[in-house]
Amino acid sequence: MKETDNKPTQELDKPPFFKSWKSMYWLVLGNLAFLITLFYIITRIYS
Amino acid sequence: MRLLDWIVLLGTLGFIVSYGVWKTRGSKDIEGYLKGDNSMKWWTIGLSIMATQASAITFLSTPGQAYEDGMRFVQFYFGLPIAMVIISITVIPIFYRLKVYTAYEYLESRFDLKTRSLAALLFLIQRGLAAGITIYAPAIILSTILGWNLTLTNLFIGILVIVYTVSGGTKAVSVTQKQQMAVMMGGMLVAGFMVVHYLPESVSFGDAIAVAGKMGKMNVVDFSFDWNDRYNFWSGMTGGLFLALSYFGTDQSQVARYLGGKSVGESRLGLLFNGLLKIPMQFIILFIGVMVFVFYQFNQPPLFFNEAAKDKVYATDFGPEMQALEEQHTALFNQKQEAMHGLVAALRTDNETAIASAQAKVQGITDASKEVRNETKALIAKATPDAETKDTDYVFISFVMKYLPAGLVGLLLAVIFSAAMSSTASELNALASTTVIDIYKRSVKKDKDNFHYLRASKLFTAAWGTLAIIFATYASMLDNLIQAVNIIGSIFYGTILGIFLVAFYVKYIKGHAVFIAALLAEAVVLYCHFYTDIAFLWFNVIGCMAVVVFGAILQLFMGEKEKETA
Repeated sequence: MKETDNKPTQELDKPPFFKSWKSMYWLVLGNLAFLITLFYIITRIYS
Repeated sequence: MRLLDWIVLLGTLGFIVSYGVWKTRGSKDIEGYLKGDNSMKWWTIGLSIMATQASAITFLSTPGQAYEDGMRFVQFYFGLPIAMVIISITVIPIFYRLKVYTAYEYLESRFDLKTRSLAALLFLIQRGLAAGITIYAPAIILSTILGWNLTLTNLFIGILVIVYTVSGGTKAVSVTQKQQMAVMMGGMLVAGFMVVHYLPESVSFGDAIAVAGKMGKMNVVDFSFDWNDRYNFWSGMTGGLFLALSYFGTDQSQVARYLGGKSVGESRLGLLFNGLLKIPMQFIILFIGVMVFVFYQFNQPPLFFNEAAKDKVYATDFGPEMQALEEQHTALFNQKQEAMHGLVAALRTDNETAIASAQAKVQGITDASKEVRNETKALIAKATPDAETKDTDYVFISFVMKYLPAGLVGLLLAVIFSAAMSSTASELNALASTTVIDIYKRSVKKDKDNFHYLRASKLFTAAWGTLAIIFATYASMLDNLIQAVNIIGSIFYGTILGIFLVAFYVKYIKGHAVFIAALLAEAVVLYCHFYTDIAFLWFNVIGCMAVVVFGAILQLFMGEKEKETA
């Protein structure tokens, strides 16, 4: 199987809710940052 | 177990299996059987990925881990969302462009047949052993707690999985995992609600969290750096990222989940869905464990949560010693009651001095109770040398069996069975597709028709399932088997990840060099295992880095040689 044999795929699929995949990736990373901050606050409050 | 529990348990499992078989009946070709006709939407993929990772041990052990060690285990998952983004950007488009059935198929187009076969074989050994443990681990706990026959419990889980996985292939695995995830999360939320509901009337939900915090269980994030500390922010962001990349990017039991997507976009969304929800899900499961801990500050916990192991001691000459420990445990709990209510009252006053004083009193009794528990474990080990002295896996199931009402016990057992079935199904499906696509179709029977390979896929699924049941049945004959399988996994995982890392990111290294590098890396890891004291988790890093370094050096010499020959 050679890479050159392949037809173009659906790589350019648009994500839902956002204009680009980059925004989706930032959402996931932003959510991670939010959760870590939230957990840090919980740790500080209840320690 | 009561009749209502049996009805809920068998009804839930029966419905899921029947629905899976009915919904995916009549797979006519290998494309449909192994890739689900590339028809899956992102939410099916996302739930399927989460259900594959969540084994029964997740639901049995994680609350127990929180009971013992607090919330900090959640940091282990901090690298996972980053891994989901990296795989979405780099791995998924390549797999889709090549229209592969398995991750290892890609290695032939990037390197050569021997590297593909080597990676596939390493995966089959590692995952083949793990499938047996996925069945055995919950079966041993359930059979101990419920008094069920271990072999029958293994057979029950194994046969149910084989029925729908053989019948409907990848699509059946994913379709049933949606229901299984619903049961798992629904059941855990109900259990969480019940444990809070069972707290004494004088203790509010806010009091419970404050008590957990003062007793060191709300330690969610720790930014301090310590090589010897397994769970902190730094180990989660590095080791967790590393493990997630290898598990989701190179392990066929996960790769198969997103290769069944309708498009690159659906597969990416499925992975990102996991990246968004995995940490909150783990947080909830751990938090339930912390609430069980608080519950047992006001209700007497068993001296040892694996009561069957404790009862065996009573049948020996050490029975009176165990009785004495039980009495000490009860006396300490009675003292603790007053101290706990004192702590709750102090927390409400916001008076730091009063809180510190109440906390010290509780801590003193807790330390004494821990000492009694340690003595109990030592006694169990002395009286019954084969017994397992770690009882954290029994904490949650013991609470469920003792305190939840009829019907909910059946639902929680359905959660554990669903988790065992969902991860086993993914494993069998991945083992069969790797055997057929990377070994059988590629190197044994190359020119057969589609129907032949479909039939072979079903036979290999059934064969791997049978092997897993046999392995689970005889697993109890080996000492410390779960650790042994984890070690075997770590011995191979690093090398597999190293091969893929080179394939994706180090274009300069070619097939011959990476193949020899992988063999050398495996030799280094085996040397580390047999002749050094290095902790086995580090084998992942050592194997992976060895493939990259050896591959780069070998390619340097091979490149020179090629130039000279030219």
